[in-house]
Amino acid sequence: MANPRALDKRRKSIRNIKKITRTMELIATARFKKAMDRASAATAYTDRITGIVGDLARAGLDVSHPLLDGREETANAKLLVLTANRGLCGGYNGNVIRLATARRGELAELAGHLSMDVSGKRGISGFRFRDIPVDQEFRQFDDQPAWEGVEAIADDYLHRFVAGELDRLDVVYTRFHSISRQTPVVETLLPLGSLADDSGEASAESGSKPVYEMIPSPRSILEEVVPTSFKVKLFKCFLDAAVSEQIARMVAMKSATENANEMIKSLSMTYNRARQSKITGEIMEVIGGVEALAS
Amino acid sequence: MANIGHITQVIGSTFDAEFSEENLPAIYNAVKVEVKEGEGTRTLTGEISKQLGGGRVRCVALGSTEGVVRGQDCLDTGGPVAVPVGEATLGRVFNLLGEPVDGRGEVNVTETRPIHRPAPLVEELSTNTELFETGIKVIDLLTPFVRGGKAGLFGGAGLGKTVILTELIARIASSHGGYSVFAGVGERTREGTDLWNEMQETEIGQTGRKVIEQTCMVFGQMNEPPGSRLRVALSALTMAEHFRDQTGADTLLFVDNIFRFSQAGSEVSALLGRMPSAVGYQPTLATEMGALQERIASTNKGAITSVQAVYVPADDPTDPAPATAFGQLDAFIYLERSISEKGIYPAVDPLASSSRILDPQYVGERHYTIARRVQTTLQRYRELQDIIAILGVDELSEEDKLVVHRARRIERFLSQPFLVAEVFTGKAGEITPLEETIRSFEEICDGKWDHLPEQAFMYVGVVEQAEEQAKKMAAGT
Repeated sequence: MANPRALDKRRKSIRNIKKITRTMELIATARFKKAMDRASAATAYTDRITGIVGDLARAGLDVSHPLLDGREETANAKLLVLTANRGLCGGYNGNVIRLATARRGELAELAGHLSMDVSGKRGISGFRFRDIPVDQEFRQFDDQPAWEGVEAIADDYLHRFVAGELDRLDVVYTRFHSISRQTPVVETLLPLGSLADDSGEASAESGSKPVYEMIPSPRSILEEVVPTSFKVKLFKCFLDAAVSEQIARMVAMKSATENANEMIKSLSMTYNRARQSKITGEIMEVIGGVEALAS
Repeated sequence: MANIGHITQVIGSTFDAEFSEENLPAIYNAVKVEVKEGEGTRTLTGEISKQLGGGRVRCVALGSTEGVVRGQDCLDTGGPVAVPVGEATLGRVFNLLGEPVDGRGEVNVTETRPIHRPAPLVEELSTNTELFETGIKVIDLLTPFVRGGKAGLFGGAGLGKTVILTELIARIASSHGGYSVFAGVGERTREGTDLWNEMQETEIGQTGRKVIEQTCMVFGQMNEPPGSRLRVALSALTMAEHFRDQTGADTLLFVDNIFRFSQAGSEVSALLGRMPSAVGYQPTLATEMGALQERIASTNKGAITSVQAVYVPADDPTDPAPATAFGQLDAFIYLERSISEKGIYPAVDPLASSSRILDPQYVGERHYTIARRVQTTLQRYRELQDIIAILGVDELSEEDKLVVHRARRIERFLSQPFLVAEVFTGKAGEITPLEETIRSFEEICDGKWDHLPEQAFMYVGVVEQAEEQAKKMAAGT
């Protein structure tokens, strides 16, 4: 039986851990609400604009936009990985990194040159540990990613894509489906056309092909709509990632608190038994000594 | 003229006798009492352990005191209990008095030796330190045995002390040229019989001779009174000492279980009227243990390599009995319940176990480095265990995840199929040479086998077998 003092010390340290995890759980719950509101506000807009671009890409025969064109040869590919700045969120970062590493392997075969951009300190350190070189590192996105920050990154990608320095952009992030379901996914954002199949299902169900009248001209509308659609989609990825992070943290901290409670319980039991047996032993010795002296 | 006294008092397994003041028998002298039993009589031997004054002496009975009556005659033999020694004892089974108990008739002995003897002198002790290979990975790597040294197997109830001891007998004695002595102290009689039967079947190397032909066994098992259990280790030791001194060969001494020796001492102690000391043990605990252990020594005439099982009551290694034995040993193997609960046998605790010669000076730089790396990895894993239990393995840093990953493999790789367990597990026993053991652990620490599933490392010999097992597992599913 371990000595009671060591057990008590261990129990105290677990109590402290529990305090932290409990607090983190509460904070994550509050943040999750906010992030969730932002994300759901953006969802409707994103879905619509994605649908429009998808429809345009398929419907308009004569419309063409550089962002919609699939490249015949992928010479330069880019993988953007969205992770959290902080840990204590269960498998959230690990899952994204694992998926990104797998996708990186696939893309490396496909593309001549592949580089990686990573958002979030956890991802940055994770890739550094795996000896995977990272091109750009973003640390400024927290639980409320700002539109301005995402737009700047999006503009940079657009610029390079149009200039021909970039042929394909994949984003790895955790998609938010519902409070109980978030999955790490890979999405190809550039070229935009390659996404048509993804959102196409929704319009196929409605049965009718939408007819658009373009005013003043299809060209000018596409010039405006297509880049915006890309930016919005990228922004949505960031928002989803932020919501998923908070949920992951909430769940992880909840189970951590429960685990800590259980551990405290079992440690208390061992501690009490150790303490009692020590007392019994000492009493026995005293009595034994007295008896031996008496006889 | 025979020195005859008479019994004045019988208390449990001790009795008092009165002799004339002039012919008082010395401490440790054996006295004999003829006890009526049914139609015939049997001889009860006692050992003087206290002189009470006025011609009265107090004796510890080395057999059952049933049927002893006050006033009975009691014969002083004039010396301590003496046991037969020499080659005639080989292949036989004795009790502590040196009487054969295997039903094979009288032992044809020419020489007997008293069981109480002084320990070898300082200048006679051998200073050689040499590693003793067992072919068991965890022992060879982390707690290497010393040739001519003492190794202790510590463990609570049911952790497999006796199995490891039997395994060591099968491994060492079957490849060992010298003699072996086995002392059964206060353990189950059935285990002794099993061992005896097994020794009659096991052959020594390729010679066609049986292990039993080179072994003698001395038993004083659970059913015997405390006096018997207290002295049986000494009887066995006396026989081993003779082999060491006369033949000069390496002698092996196996003791199962040294804790019963201390326990018997404590039972007797109370009856002798000594005041109990810590946790109710006899105040002379350390003295008794020292007197026994100091005699198990290698001298310049020959070596005794001994392996002793030590029961740890209530899994508490700080209990005085195991703690006293601990200080006497060169190699210390601690069996841990939490490991046996994981189904990993031998359940050796790689962090609590140690050996005096796990030092670059004796085992070499490479062996030492690998052993320490294995321990560091496991130590880190143990430290992280609380965090993993609370937060989950995902919260660990990448470095720590790797440590956990490897530690879990190392932990399982420390298991090994045993020769003696073959009939139960259906897996052939593995003898892993030390060189292979070191290489295997080095490669696991270096991450060469990170890709294999954990389960593949269970019960294999060298690391390549883990790879084979992984393939089989993959094919099976």
